[in-house]
Amino acid sequence: MIQDIFSTWGKYYYVFIDGIKWTFALTVITMIFGLPLGAVISFMNMSKNKILNGISGIYVGLIRGTPFLLQLYFFWLWLPKVVPFEMSERQSIIVALIISSSAYVSEIIRAGIQAVDAGQWEAAKSLGIRSSYTMRYIIMPQAIKNILPALGNQFITMLKETSLASIFFVGELMTAWKTVQNATYQPLPALVIVGIIYLIMTYTLTFVLKKYERRLAESDR
Amino acid sequence: MTDDILIKVEGLEKSFGSLRVLKGINQTIKTGEVVSVIGPSGGGKSTFLRCINLLETPTAGKIYFEGKEVTAPGVNADKYRRQLGMVFQHFNVFPNLTVMQNITLAPILEKKMPKDQAEKLALDLLKTIGMEDKKDEYPKKLSGGQKQRLAIVRALAMQPKAILFDEPTSALDPEMVKGVLNVIKQLVQSGMTIVIVTHEMGFAREVSDRVLFMDGGVIAEEGTPQQIFENPQNPRTKEFLSQVL
Repeated sequence: MIQDIFSTWGKYYYVFIDGIKWTFALTVITMIFGLPLGAVISFMNMSKNKILNGISGIYVGLIRGTPFLLQLYFFWLWLPKVVPFEMSERQSIIVALIISSSAYVSEIIRAGIQAVDAGQWEAAKSLGIRSSYTMRYIIMPQAIKNILPALGNQFITMLKETSLASIFFVGELMTAWKTVQNATYQPLPALVIVGIIYLIMTYTLTFVLKKYERRLAESDR
Repeated sequence: MTDDILIKVEGLEKSFGSLRVLKGINQTIKTGEVVSVIGPSGGGKSTFLRCINLLETPTAGKIYFEGKEVTAPGVNADKYRRQLGMVFQHFNVFPNLTVMQNITLAPILEKKMPKDQAEKLALDLLKTIGMEDKKDEYPKKLSGGQKQRLAIVRALAMQPKAILFDEPTSALDPEMVKGVLNVIKQLVQSGMTIVIVTHEMGFAREVSDRVLFMDGGVIAEEGTPQQIFENPQNPRTKEFLSQVL
């Protein structure tokens, strides 16, 4: 078994490396676009405007209430029909990833902001500071310390979630496993390799995040 | 104290859902007057104070500040509050800002005061409370008493026409209480208009021009400190004072 693993890696390492690249790229793209979208959704969610509020509530409710796999299928089937341009499978999947993560990101941001003591709002109000300034100078700097660690965890979750996209052969790590398995007729060694790669990626990220969180805590003096 | 009416409250009522917390309050507070609000918990003292600067929206009634109705639709509450400081039981200093920034933030943002002028004002204020050496510290390094004194000068930096105190010493360790009360006394001597909700009966008796006893959402009795503390008329006032004195 161990020998099979090494020989599989030796022969097909470039397939796995390609998988790593795609897994990482999908995750980063998802977070880069999911973050601002999530921020907008969370602000809609917290706004006093009932329409914005309703829209964001339904958005988050639909995404959190249905399986990610279903969402992948949905956007894969539906998007190419409604967009006025040619859309690749991979692009549909990326859109699905972004939309799904934005709902979770919006909840992280909302929770982070609402965790700031209500007394902070009241003190700012009592000084006559308008709410946009209060948000910018008082609430957000405090909320960010709740939000960043949770976003880091979301990043790790997304890294693993991209594996579901392998159903559509988007080229990430689990697709790499399928590719190698088809070539070798031996699914297990390749699966172990992919598992080890995932572990290395998530452990590295966790390590970096922990270090960063500690620095964040130190600055909080 | 002058005869100018600074704050006028008419028929103020406040309900939270089906709970009626304030059941019709009428009060006038004159410029330079020091008014203490005492009474049992749940009697509506804090809610009364919070309604005055519109942190709570009154369910009914009107509030006037310098003759203008601030409960009227279209009134900019932020602008109104810039003239009316408030100090909270739990200090509510801004932990992400230094002592100096806590004080200068509102004057710089909302009064368009130049930064150096705001910092000079802040430093002068810090000197009056003996905290000028703490100007670059973050609140985390301060004691409760220091936080509360900071909160008081933060309110003063907006040069308000009156300050509302909501149980300013209730969350303090006993040894911190005196220092904060002394700062409030300095304010009283400077002629500041003050409304203070407090459980410090000795303090209320010493500094107040007028004492309001609130119970069950109404002002059950009011008078000079002598009248309230030495010769209370309402049986509920008597009962309350017999329990706390």
